[in-house]
Amino acid sequence: MALARVVPSLVGVSVLVFLIVHAIPGDPAVIAAGLEATPDTVEQIRRNLGLDRPLPEQFVTFVSRALQGELGTSIRTGSPVMEEIISKFPFTAILALCSVLVAALVGVVAGVVAAVRHNGWVDHLVMSTTLLAVSTPGYWLGLMLMLTFSVWLGLLPAIGASTPLHFVLPVLTLGLQSAGEVARMTRATLLDVLGEEYLRAARARGVSWRRVLWRHALANTLVPITTILGLRFGGLLAGTVLVESVFAIPGMGRMMVEAVVARDFPMIQGGVLVVATLYVVVNAATDALAMVVNPRLRT
Amino acid sequence: MSVRGLLPCALALTLAVAAGCGGGSQREGGATRDTLIFAAPADATTLDPHNTTDTESDQVIGMVFEGLLGFDDQMKIVGRLAETWSVAPDGVTWTFNLRKGVAFHDGTPFTAEAVRATFARVLDPAQKHKRLPLFVMLDRVEVVDDYTVRFVTKYQFGAFEPTIAHISSAILNPAVANRFGLGFGRSAEATSGTGPYRVVSWKKDQEIVLERVEGHWRGTPPTRRLIYRPIPEGASRVLALEAGDVDVISRVPPPELKRLEAAEGIQLLKTVSIGAQQFRFNVTKKPLNDARVRQAISHAIDRRAIVDQLVTGFATPSTGALTPIMRGYANLGEIPRDLDKARALLREAGYPNGFPLKIATTPRYPMGVELAEAVASQLKPIGITASIQVFDWATMVQFWAGLPPEKNPQEMFIMGAGASTADADWGLRPIFRTAPTNENNYGYYSNAEFDRVIEAAMRETDEARRLALYKRAQEIVYLEDPGAVWLFDNFYIVAARAGVEGVSPSPLGVVTFERAVVH
Repeated sequence: MALARVVPSLVGVSVLVFLIVHAIPGDPAVIAAGLEATPDTVEQIRRNLGLDRPLPEQFVTFVSRALQGELGTSIRTGSPVMEEIISKFPFTAILALCSVLVAALVGVVAGVVAAVRHNGWVDHLVMSTTLLAVSTPGYWLGLMLMLTFSVWLGLLPAIGASTPLHFVLPVLTLGLQSAGEVARMTRATLLDVLGEEYLRAARARGVSWRRVLWRHALANTLVPITTILGLRFGGLLAGTVLVESVFAIPGMGRMMVEAVVARDFPMIQGGVLVVATLYVVVNAATDALAMVVNPRLRT
Repeated sequence: MSVRGLLPCALALTLAVAAGCGGGSQREGGATRDTLIFAAPADATTLDPHNTTDTESDQVIGMVFEGLLGFDDQMKIVGRLAETWSVAPDGVTWTFNLRKGVAFHDGTPFTAEAVRATFARVLDPAQKHKRLPLFVMLDRVEVVDDYTVRFVTKYQFGAFEPTIAHISSAILNPAVANRFGLGFGRSAEATSGTGPYRVVSWKKDQEIVLERVEGHWRGTPPTRRLIYRPIPEGASRVLALEAGDVDVISRVPPPELKRLEAAEGIQLLKTVSIGAQQFRFNVTKKPLNDARVRQAISHAIDRRAIVDQLVTGFATPSTGALTPIMRGYANLGEIPRDLDKARALLREAGYPNGFPLKIATTPRYPMGVELAEAVASQLKPIGITASIQVFDWATMVQFWAGLPPEKNPQEMFIMGAGASTADADWGLRPIFRTAPTNENNYGYYSNAEFDRVIEAAMRETDEARRLALYKRAQEIVYLEDPGAVWLFDNFYIVAARAGVEGVSPSPLGVVTFERAVVH
């Protein structure tokens, strides 16, 4: 059933990407040849890239190759697109996964604390901090974290991706923003649930407050939280574009930006296809997870 | 609520995560360092001297390769792989006596055959190397004996020496070039020259690691390892430098210059450069086809104000069509703002009330959008109402090089000029000469006298006559029949940690590291 939705999404995405890439102004052959090249050189490059063929033919070639896992050769770097993606993807995956973890951990804890101390000063502190986190541009937050922890405190490396320590600041940049959203969602859901009759009934039966909170109330917040984390994961894949540029991490986001700047058609198409596939798969997985945590969703 | 509220939480979190991630490596410390880390905005695209047109690639190529001739930091031509050289009375035959005892990085001895093979490669029209247009004046390159090589040009060519000193004339190791063909320079193994550093590894978009060549003929460089690290964001480059993650950075964002100049532990290294910022005219568009209109625009611009307010300390107002460090530069003086003169010129041309004008720009150039805004506002008093269009680089390139002139909608457009031979020929000829393929003449400039003068200058090998011709050419294109509004000449500025010595920026926009010492 999930597969039935995945396939049309991916077909749609590949058609869209192909059309967009060819509709935006800018000719990859001209850019690849450089400003000082002769028209002859440009023509030669265009032929080599197959860009002189009619559009429908180019599309058929692209799709039939993609189906065989063959995404072509990058115009900018001259290496196979698949190879480029395989070398860049781990960085982005680590970033996105760690950020989701940070978001879940920090977000849920902050949300629960705020809900329990509803209207207390802790609640106000959490609410204003999360508002700040959600509305802070990632670019700026990243630079501020770098300024604080690398320049002033000298605790962490500012840029690069060679050791686990290098990932702390980028993960915080991405994770804290999502944490804000998760915290607010957790708090709101929990407050709703805490007002429910069955919890008061449970308390009346003598179940401890702690057990009511962690066992009964929190279980009901899991569905919205998993959903929001699944959605955030897509957002995080997009957010890595900025963070990878700021922290000079050689991931997919930066690769895609550079591909777009150079109008590197095969790279843009291949990259978007991979990210889209991932996004669709993660969403399908989130749906499945939601069914696990909430039996009512099972049909 | 301020940032202060967020920081303690962030700090606690950082420590938690850092602990969770487990033992990362300690940051480097110690008194002496054998490694220098240089951060630039982009990775090299290739290390093939025949296929590069970007400064980032040139930067690395310049450390790994050498040509027969080269430029020192004052742009004087010096012998590198050639010890002596001379031109025959015919003006087209150049003989180079090569340095003996030089080897490529894999140990292959450097001989005349390598020179012949290198130029045969770039001149082979079938291979379509990007730098072929630079060498169209070359007829052939012949081996005389192992250490003598002869170049014959198709005609007397005044800019021959600067062309041979250009980075794209670097000599490749023919064995490696043959093995990798067009893949030469795409990876560490596929790169081999005679320069003071050799490529050890290249992780794309992460780092290029270079190691010094022990006993290099110019002397063993003091610093053993040099790491080239791309950091795309200007602000991040600056912070990485301040945090001590890197030792030297290029392309300092202009708004940061003032702060860094005063910052403790940071030094700014500055040189005049070959780079100038201009707005070029598309002379096929009405009313820009009228030279008086272009003169009026040029006189309406307040270059001083632009330099003082937008690029303080970063540039000086233009004084000619080339920058003073370039061979063939003529000082024609700053064009002062003179609104009365500008209005009179417009009246004469039949536009007493001005006209609407489109200005195209791209943020690819530092302050590109701000510069267009400044120009637009300065044109207002003479009745020209300019609208600004901002494009990304690919779209700009498409307008210039990918469309026939009649389809190019641009009227006035931003352009950074900088001829990488630092010579008037390459700085003027491809840009303003009437040409069927328009080379780099994206404003479709055409002036019969300019064409005549520039052709004559190109074929002139007598230095005094050559300079006189270039002076005339610049009078035409800068004053009489302007091809562009020249705004300012850029300084080339790099920032370094205070403990770094012996690093010098070159006017070509690259940094020389072979004498660098890191304390």
